[in-house]
Order: sequence, then C-alpha cells, then structure tokens
Amino acid sequence: MDWQAARVSLLLAGLTALLLLPAGLALARWLAQSDSRAKPVVEALLMLPLLLPPTVVGFYLLLWLGQGSALGAWLARHPGLHLVFSFEGLLLASVLVNLPFMVQPIQRAFASLPESLREAAWVSGLSVWKTFVKIELPLVWPGLVAGVALTVAHTLGEFGVVLMVGGNIPGETRTLSVALYDRVQSFDMAGAHSMALALVLLSLLALGLVFAGDRSRAAGRALRER
Amino acid sequence: MSAMADLQVRIENAQPMQLSAQFDCAAGELIALVGPSGSGKTSLLRAIAGLLRAPELKGRVQVGQECWFDSDQGIRLAPQQRCVGLVFQDYALFPHLSAWENAGIGECRGVDERGRAEELAGIFGRLGLAGLEQRRPAQLSGGQRQRVALARALLRVSRSQREGGSARCGVMLLDEPFSAVDAPTRQTLYRELAALRQEVSTPMVLVTHDLSEARRLADRVVIVDGGQTLQSGPPAKVFASPRNARVADLVGIQNHFKGLFHKHSPGWGWLDWIDETTGARLQLQVADKNKLDDGVRVSWVLAGELVDILPGDAQLPQGNNVRCLLREALALGETSLCTLVPEALGGVALTLNVSTALLRSLDARQGSALWLRMAPQGIHIMPVRGNPPLSP
Repeated sequence: MDWQAARVSLLLAGLTALLLLPAGLALARWLAQSDSRAKPVVEALLMLPLLLPPTVVGFYLLLWLGQGSALGAWLARHPGLHLVFSFEGLLLASVLVNLPFMVQPIQRAFASLPESLREAAWVSGLSVWKTFVKIELPLVWPGLVAGVALTVAHTLGEFGVVLMVGGNIPGETRTLSVALYDRVQSFDMAGAHSMALALVLLSLLALGLVFAGDRSRAAGRALRER
Repeated sequence: MSAMADLQVRIENAQPMQLSAQFDCAAGELIALVGPSGSGKTSLLRAIAGLLRAPELKGRVQVGQECWFDSDQGIRLAPQQRCVGLVFQDYALFPHLSAWENAGIGECRGVDERGRAEELAGIFGRLGLAGLEQRRPAQLSGGQRQRVALARALLRVSRSQREGGSARCGVMLLDEPFSAVDAPTRQTLYRELAALRQEVSTPMVLVTHDLSEARRLADRVVIVDGGQTLQSGPPAKVFASPRNARVADLVGIQNHFKGLFHKHSPGWGWLDWIDETTGARLQLQVADKNKLDDGVRVSWVLAGELVDILPGDAQLPQGNNVRCLLREALALGETSLCTLVPEALGGVALTLNVSTALLRSLDARQGSALWLRMAPQGIHIMPVRGNPPLSP
C-alpha cells in the first residue's frame, strides 16, 4: 500500500469537494430555476467532461496552463503558481472535470422543489436569501450529499487527467489510481491488489451515501403524497 | 372595519397571458373568482400577491391607502412587502417543518415573539389544530393540512394589522383551497370558513371553478373567462340573470335557449322561443326592460324556481303555459332531475329539479304530459353578441 498516494488522493478528493460545493450549489440553483437562453449552453459545457476522454481534457489543460501559454506564464510570474505537474494544478483540473458530478444531483434536487414552496415563503415575508437558507437548503440536502459523494468517488478514480496534468510525482501528484498503475507495470500484484481494493471500498462507501440520501428523499416524498 | 382596507384591482396584460380584469372587494367581504380552468383566475390572484411574472403588466392594485402596484407610477411591491395571506391550491406547506413552524414562518417586525406565539396558539385553537403543533405535514390529513395553510395565511394578515394599527392592511387570497380534500371534509371546511369570516376583517378573494362552492361561500361572484372579468354581483343575481350567453354557459345554467324578442306594450314584450332544429316557435310573455330593440335575436335562460308544474289535464288561466312531455325523471332522493320536452318544440329540452313528492302526487312518469307555467320574471333575456340575423 502506497500511503503517500492514499494521502494525496484523499486530500485531492476532499479539497475538490470542498471547493466545488459552493460553486456547484450556486450553479445548480441557477440552472434549476433559470429560463435564460444561456442555460442550454452552460448545461452542455458542464456535461462535456462526462463525455470527453479524460486525456483530451488533460491535454487542453496542459496546453492552457503550461508555462508556454500566456495564462500559465502570467500565473507563474505573479502569484508564483505553477499549475502543471503540481498539486495546485491537479486540484484545478479536478475541480473542472468534477463539475457535472457535483452540479447534477443538486440541480435535480432543486428542480424537484415545487415553485409554490418558494412563493409561500416570499408571501410570508421571507427574503429570497432567508427562503434559500430556511426552506430550500434543508430540502435539497440529500442532493448535496449525493453531489459530494459522487465528486469524492470520481476524484479518487480519476486517472487520465491526473496523469496528463499532474504527472506522477510521489507525495505531490501521484494518486492511488496512478500508483496502482505503477505497481501493475512493475509486476507488484500484491501492492496493486491492496490499492485496487481500497479504491473499490471507498467508491462503494460514496455510492452507498448517495443511495441512502436518495432513499430518504424518496421516503419523504411518498409520505408527503400519502 | 373602515372602508379604508378595500381591495381594488385593475389589471391589463397581454403577455404571457391575456388579462383584462376589474373588481373590488370590500373589507370583510368574500368574493369568488369563478371560471373554467385556464381562465386566468389564479393569474389574477398571483397578480394581487405580486407573484405573477408579467413584465408588461398594466393597471393598479390598491388595498386601502396602500398602493401595491401601479404601472403608471412605477410602483411594484415585492411579494414580501404585500401583506397577503395566501392559501395555495396544494397548500405549499414546508415538508421539513412542523405544523407550528409552518404557520409561524412569517417574518414580522414590531411584534415580539411572545405576542406572535400567543396569536398563533389562538389561531390553532380556533381551527382545531391544537395538539397537532409538532406534526410534520406528511403526518397530517388533507383537511388538517389545509387548516395549517389557513393558519399561516391568517397569522400573516392579522399580525400585520396589529403591526402598525389601521394604516396597515392585508388581503386573504384562497386559491382553490378545497379542491384537494374529500367531499365530507370539504363540507366541514366550508362551515369553518363561514365561521371564520366573522373574525376576519380583511377582503377575501376565493378562486374556484366550483359554482356551488362560490354560491355557498361568496358574498359576490366575479365571472372570469379568458382572463377577462365578465360580470360580478351577488351569486343569486348572477346565476339568475347572467349578462350574456357566455356568462350563462359559464355559470352552468342548464335551461339556456335561443329566441327572438318583440316589443309589445310598455313594459312587456314577446319572446319567440325557437327550436333551431325544426324552426318551430312558441310565444312567451316577458318583461321589457327597454334594453333591447324590437326583433333582435336573444339568448335566454329560465329560472327553474319560478316554474310551476301542474297536471297535464289542468285548466289554466292565461299566461306562459307550456305543455311538456316528461322524457326522464332521475330520482336523487328528495328531488328528481326531470327532463321535459315542450310538445310544440320537439328539439329542445328543459331540465328542472322537481320535488320527488310532487312528481308522485302528479302521478307523473316517463311519457306523462305536464303543464309548465313560467312566470315572466323567471325568464331572463340576454342579447346575443354581434346579434347575427336569424337564419330563416
């Protein structure tokens, strides 16, 4: 077991989820309620990482963020950020490719809220913000749990983007999935087994959370309609 | 309550929904907006509450001295700023909050927590919700949910009245509040609403597609169709004398016929009752209110309560006597729904609710001949829009 890789993987997954949560929440709520013309475009862009091969995403990020690009050069000069072959760069790539995993479940949760609930709160005198905090957030939390769990599970399993943008630097960008690949390459089957098993268990745990949240929500709905 | 808190609504809109409405509701009065589904009743309610999304909305909504909406002056208060107790059709209770929290969710300045709690406890007691405070909506019956929604609305308007004294004012809006409960519960809730009216001094606007509900609960009905208010008045008046054929159809008048009006002598006229399938006619004497010209095409309705039913062999004095055959008598308990066909006009049928006892005493059965004696006041004549010439 490569504990260093496990630490990188978990740190990356946790930070990705943490950074994505507020952004995903705002984006999901906007998508669920807006009838703006930009909405289909935004939705399509958001879903793109789901369809594109991870190596394609990694390739473009490498191009845009590398020292050879204007953005990469500027970032390296001013905040001193090196986004290629570094943990920070890996985190940025991870945030971008995980957007659909965070946004989708939250968006569905918002969309399933009847419009009349919001309106009832407004008519009762609650501001838009208070309505969000008191009414909407408590009702969409299963969507939040699902979004976080899917993001964590997906980050743990990401391989292509990690290899392209992060490379394979031990303690910095070598994640469990990359380490697993390394072990197989060097015929260390025992090490590969332990890491594969760890990934399976972590993913199962995350998916279990998603479905538990889904079930409690479905049960709540059934009760309401009784 | 002073006349200050009256609700006045003047609304015009083109997109996304055609609206052209004008109605008032006095403080303490209950009016019913009645019309088929999709007629715009709920949109009107939402316009009062400030929830209607219509950027081009024109007109004015005023409650007492407070102007909530005025397109000329650019006034458009947010829903939060309007003091509206709104009962949604699906009640819109918050599923994660208890009955008590649901009803007490409202924001208010100037009233302390204890005063609020006392008030809410009073409302819960009055609505028979005491003991259910901690239940979630999912654990309540349909009728109880409706009462919680009503409690929330009541707290909103009553609290605001207290907030700043008489300067503040509110409106109760009820959007099909009885459509989601079963019939026995509905009867109970009707009685409760009637009792509640003694205590609520705000204008109340009820939206319903159920005519009997409107008739039973409202002081006045406003007939809405295609976003337009067609007629308003006390239910008995609107149902007995609809302004035009469309209103007659909307209020579900069954005995609605075509005819031709002729002037006779001052105050009196003749109505040619026409069977359009055969062209046959039958003449009835009617009151002439000087609103119609001689020879115009009219549509008319017959008020069933002003029709006498007599045996087919009776000797009758002069008047609107129409001999009919009883085509069908559907016994509905105390009354029977009778379909009668005038002998002179084979193609039209009258529907009357007749006491079952009377039918028995007349020994009337299917195919029997009966005399109908129609009082001239029971015949209400309306112009036909555009007044097209009668086909020969």
